[in-house]
Amino acid sequence: MANSLAPSPSIGLRSVPLTIWRAIALPLLLLVAWQLWAMGLPADTRAPSPAKVLAGFVRLTLAGDLPLALIQSIGRVVAGFLIALVLGLSLGLAMGRIRWVRDGLEPIVESFRPIAPMAILPIAILFLGTGTPAALSIVAYAAFFPLLLNVMHGVSRVDPKLVLAARTMGVPPLRTFTHVILPAAMPSVLLGSRLAMGSAWTAIIAAELAVGAKAGGGTSGGIGQMMFVFYAYSIDLNGIVVCMIVVGVVALLIDRAFRGAERILVRGREAT
Amino acid sequence: MSAASAREATPKLRFTAVAKEFVAPRTGKRTLAVTDVGLSIEAGEFVCVVGPSGCGKSTIMNLVAGLDAPTSGTITMDGRPIAGPGADRGVMFQDYALYPWLTVSQNIGFGLENGTPGRGLSRAERDARVRHFVELVRLKGAEDKFPHQLSGGMCQRVALARLLANGPDVLLMDEPLGALDAQTRLILQVELLRIWGETAPRAERKTAIFITHDIEEAVFLADRVVVMGTGPGRIRAILPIDLPRPREEGTRADPRFAALTKQVWELIRDDAYQAIG
Ligand SMILES: Nc1ncnc2c1ncn2[C@@H]1O[C@H](COP(=O)(O)OP(=O)(O)OP(=O)(O)O)[C@@H](O)[C@H]1O
Ligand SMILES: [Mg+2]
Repeated sequence: MANSLAPSPSIGLRSVPLTIWRAIALPLLLLVAWQLWAMGLPADTRAPSPAKVLAGFVRLTLAGDLPLALIQSIGRVVAGFLIALVLGLSLGLAMGRIRWVRDGLEPIVESFRPIAPMAILPIAILFLGTGTPAALSIVAYAAFFPLLLNVMHGVSRVDPKLVLAARTMGVPPLRTFTHVILPAAMPSVLLGSRLAMGSAWTAIIAAELAVGAKAGGGTSGGIGQMMFVFYAYSIDLNGIVVCMIVVGVVALLIDRAFRGAERILVRGREAT
Repeated sequence: MSAASAREATPKLRFTAVAKEFVAPRTGKRTLAVTDVGLSIEAGEFVCVVGPSGCGKSTIMNLVAGLDAPTSGTITMDGRPIAGPGADRGVMFQDYALYPWLTVSQNIGFGLENGTPGRGLSRAERDARVRHFVELVRLKGAEDKFPHQLSGGMCQRVALARLLANGPDVLLMDEPLGALDAQTRLILQVELLRIWGETAPRAERKTAIFITHDIEEAVFLADRVVVMGTGPGRIRAILPIDLPRPREEGTRADPRFAALTKQVWELIRDDAYQAIG
């Protein structure tokens, strides 16, 4: 803010902490209330409390269980997302630019789209077992549709004048594609990626929970499976809450990372 | 014109009974944008097109650019029918068509980097050319800005610089100076004539089609002014402008300048009044 000529009152130096305070006041109040409520319960209760959850978080982190599960889950999300990115980008570009491809594929896409990722889980487990391939396919499936639809939409809405202008400058078709159509559609591609990553993360947790149930607490791994074990075997409510919070924080970080990438990549336009 | 008579057989551009009708995709509604356009433009000629809004000026420009095909009639360049767009005919669009993700410099250099105009030029030559045209349109200091950070007049100058940097043989310009302030406009009119080749022998000049709403601008720039009318769009009259070249500030004081301006105005007055009801 040091170089802004006329700082507006709401973002002045003093009021920055104030906005942060406003953002954390309510969660803090709820935490305190929760802790007070838990302290009023009998000593041998299973009910989670903020203090116990924090202790659980430290224990799981130091033991290495939580980091390992997190790495497994994130690895699957990234891999599944990349599969969806390749498929969604190429199909979305083709469907957005080529009429007959769109006419041919739209009915199939539209009939699969309403089927929730969890609904293909039974088939995924039957064909791919309870390991990583099944989880990957669910993640890729979940990430595919937001990508496909946004890329298709973005590419078909590129201002035709921009393409015509390139043609009057003798720009060859492939180069027009990479230097006009793709950058013009970039905001939609990034938006699609962000939404896809969000649903991929949601899907992986659910998939690991379900795959974990089927594997009977076996070695499928990941945060979701960890939650299942806490639920079905050790009945560790504090551990479940730790996992929930970690899942939420990771989702938030993913979203922030993609928004940051959008700001950098979508040059020359107001970031959405 | 006797020296040109040998070339008269094949003019640079020739319109023969050109008509363009648009058919709305869903409703099937037909709009006859222009009809019965016949015109020959010699190589090295500067032709201005004036006429009320909606008379088909941009339509004709798109046909020459090869971005659209006539419904009937033919347009030939150097005797051959126009088959599609090409970098030999540079276009400056009425709404600029700048690339919003590129800076001013990158927009101006877009054709040099990605199209045929840059072929055979080294990196240094391209950069020098971009810098030259940045300065010509007075955008020094704004090279690294993006189009959304520019005023309308600045965007227009970027589009003009991009057209000129590509160095096309035929210049197609759709109201290229319309958004500029009066002073910049006068300066760029003179610059444009210089780039077109006003001081060069006729054979070395480019061929220019320049659409404008400004009658004085048309008379100042043109070898001939094409006056169009509406309902449907067609050529009303073609006026030769025999003012001496190079044209400069003094040209506007020439009594013939005033007479020609008056003549063009009288030709479009009725249409213009009709257009505003
Ligand atoms: N793609 C299109 N589809 C349907 N009608 C069109 C299309 N393009 C132009 N027209 C119609 O053709 C006519 C001529 O349009 P054009 O844009 O050539 O006018 P203009 O002389 O350039 O006008 P202005 O001075 O306002 O730019 C108008 O009636 C317009 O509505
Ligand atoms: Mg127009």
